[in-house]
Amino acid sequence: MTEITDRLQPAAPLVAAKRVAAEVPMIDRYKWFEKVGIYVGIAVFLFFVLAPFIEGFRVSLRPLDHLFSSPYVFWPDDASINAYFQMWQDVPLLGRYIFNSLFISLVITIVVLLLVVPAAYAFARFEFPGQGVLLGAFLAVNMVSGAVLLIPLYRLMRTLGLLNTYYSMIVPGVAFLIPTGIWLLRAYMMGIPRELDEAAWADGASRFYIFRRVILPLAMPGVMVVGLATFIGAYATQFIFALTFNSKSELMPLAVGLYSFFGKERVVWNELMAASFAGVLPVMIVFFFLQRYLVAGMTAGAIKQ
Amino acid sequence: MINSRSAITFALIFLIPATLYTLVIVAYPLVDTVNLSFTNAGLPKSYHWVGWDNYAKIFNSSFAMVIGRTFLWTFCSVGLKMIIGTAGAVLLNAAVPGRTLFRVLTLPPWIIPMAIGIFMWGWLYNGQFGMISGVLQNVGVLHTPFAWLAYGWSAFWATILTDVWIGVPVVTIYLLAAIQAIPKDLYEAAWADGAGRWYRFRRITLPLMRPAALTMSMLSLIATFNSFDIIWILTQGGPNSQTTTMIIDTYKTAIGSYKYGEGAARAVLICIFLSLFCLFYFRAVNRLSKGDSR
Amino acid sequence: MVALLGSTAIAFADDKPVSMIQCGDAIAETYPALITQWEAKNPGYKVNVEIVGWDQCQDKVTTLAAAGTPVALAYVGSRTLKQFADSDLIIPITFTDAEKAAYYPHILDTVTYNGQQWGIPTAFSTKAVFWNKDLFTKAGLDPNKPPTTWDELYADAKAIKDKTGIAGYGLPAKTMDNTMHQFLHFVYTNNGTVTDASGKVTLDSPENLAALEFYKKLVPVSEDGPSAYDQDDMIKIFSDGKVGIIEGGPWVRNQVPKTINWGVAALPVGPSAKGAGTLLITDSTAVFKGSGVEAQALDLAKLLTNPENQFAYEKTHGLTPVRPVAGVADLIKEDPTWKPFLDGIAFGGPEPLFKDYKGLQNSMITMVQSVVTGQAEPKDALTKAAGDIAQYE
Repeated sequence: MTEITDRLQPAAPLVAAKRVAAEVPMIDRYKWFEKVGIYVGIAVFLFFVLAPFIEGFRVSLRPLDHLFSSPYVFWPDDASINAYFQMWQDVPLLGRYIFNSLFISLVITIVVLLLVVPAAYAFARFEFPGQGVLLGAFLAVNMVSGAVLLIPLYRLMRTLGLLNTYYSMIVPGVAFLIPTGIWLLRAYMMGIPRELDEAAWADGASRFYIFRRVILPLAMPGVMVVGLATFIGAYATQFIFALTFNSKSELMPLAVGLYSFFGKERVVWNELMAASFAGVLPVMIVFFFLQRYLVAGMTAGAIKQ
Repeated sequence: MINSRSAITFALIFLIPATLYTLVIVAYPLVDTVNLSFTNAGLPKSYHWVGWDNYAKIFNSSFAMVIGRTFLWTFCSVGLKMIIGTAGAVLLNAAVPGRTLFRVLTLPPWIIPMAIGIFMWGWLYNGQFGMISGVLQNVGVLHTPFAWLAYGWSAFWATILTDVWIGVPVVTIYLLAAIQAIPKDLYEAAWADGAGRWYRFRRITLPLMRPAALTMSMLSLIATFNSFDIIWILTQGGPNSQTTTMIIDTYKTAIGSYKYGEGAARAVLICIFLSLFCLFYFRAVNRLSKGDSR
Repeated sequence: MVALLGSTAIAFADDKPVSMIQCGDAIAETYPALITQWEAKNPGYKVNVEIVGWDQCQDKVTTLAAAGTPVALAYVGSRTLKQFADSDLIIPITFTDAEKAAYYPHILDTVTYNGQQWGIPTAFSTKAVFWNKDLFTKAGLDPNKPPTTWDELYADAKAIKDKTGIAGYGLPAKTMDNTMHQFLHFVYTNNGTVTDASGKVTLDSPENLAALEFYKKLVPVSEDGPSAYDQDDMIKIFSDGKVGIIEGGPWVRNQVPKTINWGVAALPVGPSAKGAGTLLITDSTAVFKGSGVEAQALDLAKLLTNPENQFAYEKTHGLTPVRPVAGVADLIKEDPTWKPFLDGIAFGGPEPLFKDYKGLQNSMITMVQSVVTGQAEPKDALTKAAGDIAQYE
């Protein structure tokens, strides 16, 4: 194998593209039809994922009266981006809603990670009586629909004095995202070879040291994935708690705020769609930047399953 | 080392924050719910114990149909999610230019508030104005508007498709992370031995993905079983109850009418079903993977 | 147009809050001034208004009441009053005889249970039939002659379908409450009832059977796939010119674009009708028990809904007036399209007042859907529904 890669090494300075091509390992080099196949596959996959957004985008471009018309025309002739400007006026708190959503999700994610990382480690690395039951119990939390627990939760929030504050949305949000976080991170941590722990233990490291200096760095990609999953989970599902436990408009997240576009007689669909896109964009930008760390972290370590 | 007392103490200390938090916030409502399931709690302030009445009531209706339908709907949806998610993960793992952008573009269905995503699908399915009906008419496959949500079988699959759409990003990204954690030298060793792409996928990627796939599929099963918003917003369980799953039924007969006692009983029942099912699923898949020789 | 309003004035430390939930996206234009006026007359009390979206406000009001922390007053659908009253969550509203007489006939029926009134009618709507004059002309029908009987309705719809290929009638059968509403149009235009004065279920009657069978007859001349559409969808399809005849409330006139040449008339009557009928739906302001400020809430509610203020509210929202005040005659003179909506009140029927109104809706919707999709025969579906809803009273 070394012969092959040797032959590919440029002997003299070459055009940048050629150098990049030479650094791609042979195993990742695709034949042309494989490349085409991959791109076609990705195109089909992404079409499925994004088709409704194409429709939503079309809707955001049309004036309200022309929205519901047949026969179907793909590109409307009355397209305008007016909705994107109008929506800030029609719902003055829109910017605030987006901020609230981001803020609440961020706090939830931080709290969840603080609670989940140690717990996942405990489940992944240790055996103790009742472990299975406890793990199952966490899972059971996910099995009961939130709608059923609403009133007892409301009473609890009221007793704790948390109604109508940011906490009223953060506190329950954290609780329902912990189980998924524990399960996902535990699975990931179980893939880190035990030999590393044992080697450090033999060298006299304390348990906490092992956790902090050996396991945690290797588990970072998993932590990031779980953190991202938690953030997005919190962002998308804040609705029912915010609606019931909070009455202050200034604190409402986007999911509730979007319903301001629902009037008595009609829904301002085009602005609603425009606002939804505005809400999605910040998270996508964040992921775009985090994505690099994710991949770098994952390919850095040699993690055997 | 693992079972020594100091080890167990350490583990418990690490577990306490999460456990305590969940206990305080969730345990009380859960216990309250189980408690309520044995009462006739409703809107009136006072209620009393009714024993197993609520549970008996559940089995008197056409519940068997609903249970079967729920399992069918869940299986189809999770099955599709896992297949499309795996395909997506493999595709996005490929070392092609633009892959960062593609990965980011996978996210929107997950990030957007669920209700909005469902509305958009509602439009796509609309017979008169929707894209699917419209494009098919333009192309000539359909001659008249077809309302996808008006007929039993099409509504069933339409709601599944929307659920799959919402769930695919999570599954894809998580499986992608799992694939990327597979050490490259395994592939290179196989490649040096002359193994082709498909062989490498079947013998290296798939088996090593299994633990992640198992966890993700189980979490997906649980979430999908209780999937409420999608069916509710699109069809409200219709037409003719053809898309009524257990949670929809619970909402229609109990929660929607503020019959908290009955609603609690149904929720507890769903939880029990799910737990039993997860137990069997977990054991079955574990047994399968133990039979694998590596 | 769509501005959110929280609480406005500065609160003093010893002000007792009177909390109110209003549904929609903004507080009614006429309310803030009235609230300030009330607060001036009632020192020591502060009104806090929370705006909740239409889809969620009913649930939020109920959840708060069920959890023991009700708001003082709220805008609720009148169909919920019986359940609230039975659960001892709201206080009865006392009207003097003079106050009662001031309303149009039957309107207070929508809020009456056990001989008492439980809410103050705040928003009222009746239904009428709309037809597309251009489609009528195309189908060879007289565009200025709307269908006045069921037979004419069927004939007109059939003509449109046969001659133009466009759906003649807009039949909503989606799993939504207005599917039941539309069916009630046919119940009340045929002298039928759902319950009688004593509360006995009278759904299974020859008149209602005729209504359900007529529904079945309408399916072939209606739009394709009725179970996918509700009344709001019908308005959109009508505005697109793809359905000839629909039935709806006063707001339809504002939503249909000028490009459609439409007319409005009273609902077509059935063979057993005694006069023009319609469906009377009200939303009320209810006063909740346990807020500690019930008397103040009641006072505020009465102020917001007194004849003068109520009429102003109705005018700004395009709602059917609940009282035949002097301004109504002017209203009709300015806009004759109001007349069909007012004519039907005398023989109109209310949305039935049931304790478990969701159960009622589910049974009625199932009945309509099973007939429309051909799964059940009208006679069987009707008998089954009548048996089912008895338990929901």
